[in-house]
Amino acid sequence: MEAEKKSRWRWGVNRWIVLVLIVLNFIFARQFPPIAPHVQLPAEPIFPITLPVVGEFVVTNTIIATLIADVVLFVLAFFVWRSIRRGNQILTGITGVVEALTDALFSLSESTAGKWGKSIFVWMATIVFLVLIVNWTELIPGVDSVGLFEADHIARPEECTFDSFYIGSLEIVSVGGEPACSAGVIPFVRVASTDLNFTIALAIISVGATQMIGIRALGVSYFTKFFNTKTLFTAPMFGVINFLVSLLEAILEFAKILSFGFRLFGNIFAGSILLFVVGTLAPVFLQSGVLLFEWFVGIIQAIVFGLLTLIFMSLATVSHSEEEGH
Amino acid sequence: MEGDIVQAAKLIGAGLAAIGVFGGGIGVGLAALGATQAMGRNPDVAGTIQTNMILGFAFAEATSIYALVVALLILFVF
Repeated sequence: MEAEKKSRWRWGVNRWIVLVLIVLNFIFARQFPPIAPHVQLPAEPIFPITLPVVGEFVVTNTIIATLIADVVLFVLAFFVWRSIRRGNQILTGITGVVEALTDALFSLSESTAGKWGKSIFVWMATIVFLVLIVNWTELIPGVDSVGLFEADHIARPEECTFDSFYIGSLEIVSVGGEPACSAGVIPFVRVASTDLNFTIALAIISVGATQMIGIRALGVSYFTKFFNTKTLFTAPMFGVINFLVSLLEAILEFAKILSFGFRLFGNIFAGSILLFVVGTLAPVFLQSGVLLFEWFVGIIQAIVFGLLTLIFMSLATVSHSEEEGH
Repeated sequence: MEGDIVQAAKLIGAGLAAIGVFGGGIGVGLAALGATQAMGRNPDVAGTIQTNMILGFAFAEATSIYALVVALLILFVF
């Protein structure tokens, strides 16, 4: 009874906090007009560094986002490790969430792939966690909107207003006027999934690992899936058809890379553009709904990427002749 | 003036490319139709159906995402 009363009282306070935040949002949107970041397909370079082996190397803003996601993953892993080290039987809080997700993924891969479930689970869970954290970096405030300023990128600078002030010797510029005025802002952090390098690399890893697991499961006979010469001489008519179909299967393997890469890229890139556009058109209130939607899209895309990897891998462990047998 | 015509052609091209999205919409709708009917008939396996439905969504959506990527490429790259 007491607890119920208390929670009802809390709810009243939260309502006023939300109302005050909305009013503040109106005031600040008036005072500081929102910025539509510079939309560009390739990742923007931030600073060059010289690596020992590779040599000259340009750090782009998507690489920074990937590093942030890696750090988050390591911290998450550290918390889970510490919690298990302490001998906690019941994981609580964030470690409990990680446990629930891992458990769901593991039972899914066990039920789909059978005895190969354990080795497939490693690939799938890695991909799901990485893509999930990377997709969710777009929800952090300041990502895509805080960055270096280069006035050369703006087409008509005379229509824009620039207010600048100094912190030490560092010049801070805030851009006003039309949305096109902010074309000069190159964000420090941009979601890694909006870079084709990230998604295609992940797709190549996924498809490559699929071949590896197929070879481990079936040995050399795995390649008869792509060059089916078994019936070429015994039954020439159908043998030729079988051979051509198997060649198509080999081409499909490359199409998978493109499909994997563009699916993730397209979803997240379109989502981040939607966030800019809604944020510029209606800076008040509406973007929160879009953020919720993007949260959902991020989780769905991560699970779809992992699920497709799981299904392709479990298909690779089954030979065609076995399929015809049952 | 020429630059403006090129810009207009780009915008029209991007709009035409985005027409392809409607196929994905039909596909996703059909997947949801089939899944909800199946769940109504057999609520016990709703979990399995949901997983497969989302997988079907992803495949159906992929083609419309390609159309979207082409539209974005026209707008921001060329």
